[in-house]
Amino acid sequence: MTEVRDLVLGAVRDALLRAELPHSSGERPFYVVPPDRTAADDLVGQFTTALVALTGEAHHAESLGATSDAIADIAGVYGAASYLSWSEVAMGCVGLVETLTSRGLRRVSYDLPFDQPGRNQRVRALAEVGLGVTGADAALADSGALVLASGPGRGRLASLLPPVHVALVKRDRLFPSLSALLAARPDLVAGGSNLVVIAGPSRTADIEMTLTHGVHGPKHVHVILIP
Amino acid sequence: MSESTSHGPAARTDGPTAHSHGAAAHSHAEAHTAGTAFHTRIDTALADGKLRQALSMTTGRLAAGRATAFAALPAADALRDAAQRIRAHTIAHLDQYLVEFTANAERLGCHIHWAETAADAARTVVAIAQASGVSLAVKSKSMLSEEIELNTALESAGIRVVETDLGEFVVQLAGDRPSHIIAPIVHRRREDVAALFREKLGATADEVATIPAMTAFARKTLRDQFVNAGMGISGVNLAVADTGSLCLVTNEGNGRLTTTLPRVHVALLGLERLVPTSADLGVVLQLLARSATGQAMPVYTNLLTGPRRRTTGSDSGGEPDGPDELHIVIVDNGRTRLLGSELAEILYCVRCGACLNVCPVYRQIGGHAYGGVYPGPIGSVVMPGIEGLDRWAELPQASSLCGACRDVCPVRIDIPRLLLKLRAQAVRESLAPMWLRLGMRAFAAIATRPAIYRFVGNLVGRLGTAVARNGWLTRLPGPLAAWTMSRDFPAPAAKSFTQSWRPKRRAERTHA
Repeated sequence: MTEVRDLVLGAVRDALLRAELPHSSGERPFYVVPPDRTAADDLVGQFTTALVALTGEAHHAESLGATSDAIADIAGVYGAASYLSWSEVAMGCVGLVETLTSRGLRRVSYDLPFDQPGRNQRVRALAEVGLGVTGADAALADSGALVLASGPGRGRLASLLPPVHVALVKRDRLFPSLSALLAARPDLVAGGSNLVVIAGPSRTADIEMTLTHGVHGPKHVHVILIP
Repeated sequence: MSESTSHGPAARTDGPTAHSHGAAAHSHAEAHTAGTAFHTRIDTALADGKLRQALSMTTGRLAAGRATAFAALPAADALRDAAQRIRAHTIAHLDQYLVEFTANAERLGCHIHWAETAADAARTVVAIAQASGVSLAVKSKSMLSEEIELNTALESAGIRVVETDLGEFVVQLAGDRPSHIIAPIVHRRREDVAALFREKLGATADEVATIPAMTAFARKTLRDQFVNAGMGISGVNLAVADTGSLCLVTNEGNGRLTTTLPRVHVALLGLERLVPTSADLGVVLQLLARSATGQAMPVYTNLLTGPRRRTTGSDSGGEPDGPDELHIVIVDNGRTRLLGSELAEILYCVRCGACLNVCPVYRQIGGHAYGGVYPGPIGSVVMPGIEGLDRWAELPQASSLCGACRDVCPVRIDIPRLLLKLRAQAVRESLAPMWLRLGMRAFAAIATRPAIYRFVGNLVGRLGTAVARNGWLTRLPGPLAAWTMSRDFPAPAAKSFTQSWRPKRRAERTHA
């Protein structure tokens, strides 16, 4: 393998001696993100507008009780009896699991096994769960997108496998744009094995350019803005 | 699908195997004749009214979506300048960034594989699958996997592979090839997909009654594959050198499922698809989806930094999901050849497909007529660039050089300039048809001798006027027919310029 590596890198170096590369003499920084002074209140408004345009829904909750009421309502609408979720600590919502249990919603916890058959069996069971609940590391006002980093207690499947995704977003985690976020929180990119930016429900337009939601990921995305 | 209804022979008979290296001699011979397989494919495409209707609708919408998205982006020009500089800088220091990227990815626990050729790359993926005892693999859309004919290689090793992008799933069921970089089944109608689902998958009438119903049916069918797969295969939109991350964008979410559910993830990376930092990635991402579909942001922008982590958390033991193994296969397959040529600028490309949607040629003939994996303006440079101009000499001719591709390119690649370089190369290497070379020589001989030029000019004028219909020449004789085969020629004026000019000047002199 090392040999092939050297061959390919050698070929690259060789080619670079001859390559015609217009506009390649530019120097850093290639781009400076323009400052954005949007007030916090406006960010919430912008975010909500953008999320709704993506067919997502925004809710507000000021307390733990109100948050779990909102989740239970959403679960009721879609007929979900159980949910996948991040850990309470990761969501920044300690006590949530207990209050949801008291509202008849059961948390399905998981840690995927390392052997293939065991893993497949576990995934098959998880695919039946009707609701996913996560926190968010950030939300982007210009696009209505959510930013989720993986980590301990922060599974990827909760925002991916169920047909409905509910994200709890703290209002102080709103950023104007992805560029602004990456400038402010460069640590997010490599903090876990996965950083995902989610802009609304899963969609496709492959057949005759007809927009259809929920082809592989969640068909419905709800965001609950919390203090 | 209803095999007999909508597609000409080009869509079916010209399957992936026609592009294997074994076909090189055949294509080479074709390139020297005027009435070639390429022209046959064009005729077939032009005669297919439904195809042209679908192309017109899809490319029109995508191009309009792009225009609207860019009009709403205040810093669009500055971002495009920056994206161009980022990609140019990366390619100019490609060896360094490859070393940096692979060192970081290995530190995170990724397995790095290098492949010089398409066959090497396909063999590498097969070997990874065999080492893990994989019998079923799921795949997220990847043009590079088409390029290396990965499905064929996996299947001949007894490994089943399922395309999970809805469009690619349909392509695979039909034994077809994608005809657009980002809209693979632009050439198929809903009835085709419905018939295919019923015939190949036993869907009920209700399950194919509407597009949402078909989409739900595909979700259900593909979920079964996802939960049983042992390996996920994906492409990479861009890799980030300083973090060792892979960036994959999708709208459907199949990219996330492919890279999360199976125990093993194999990512195919074209060796030029790097950016130095995540800030640079942020710049390019602001342009990618806007250029491709007109979306400000794709639904899922997925950054993968190493496999699932087991030791990060002290209390819970690490991440609960994600692939336990992450293999990155870095593929050359002609890219270093491109890099060392005067076409190196094409390596800035981020495969958004915007140039296809605005190309007056693509919009008429669609992707299959081009014959290669990458169609449209980008393909007319990439295919000759990676596989040799002798195999693809006609593609650079299939352009009006109008410059629409250059105008929409998010990284401002001057595609017409590269097409002209290829045309010049074709003449240098005697790949242009004999009649063209002789014709140009004859023209030069005439045009440099004023008396002969005037005589021939008058002759052509008179002959032209005699045979023209409504001011146009629609069919010229002999080798000139190659011109009128695909375009009309305006009839020459009855009098030559000199003939009109002389009396005028004489009159002016008399007045003076």
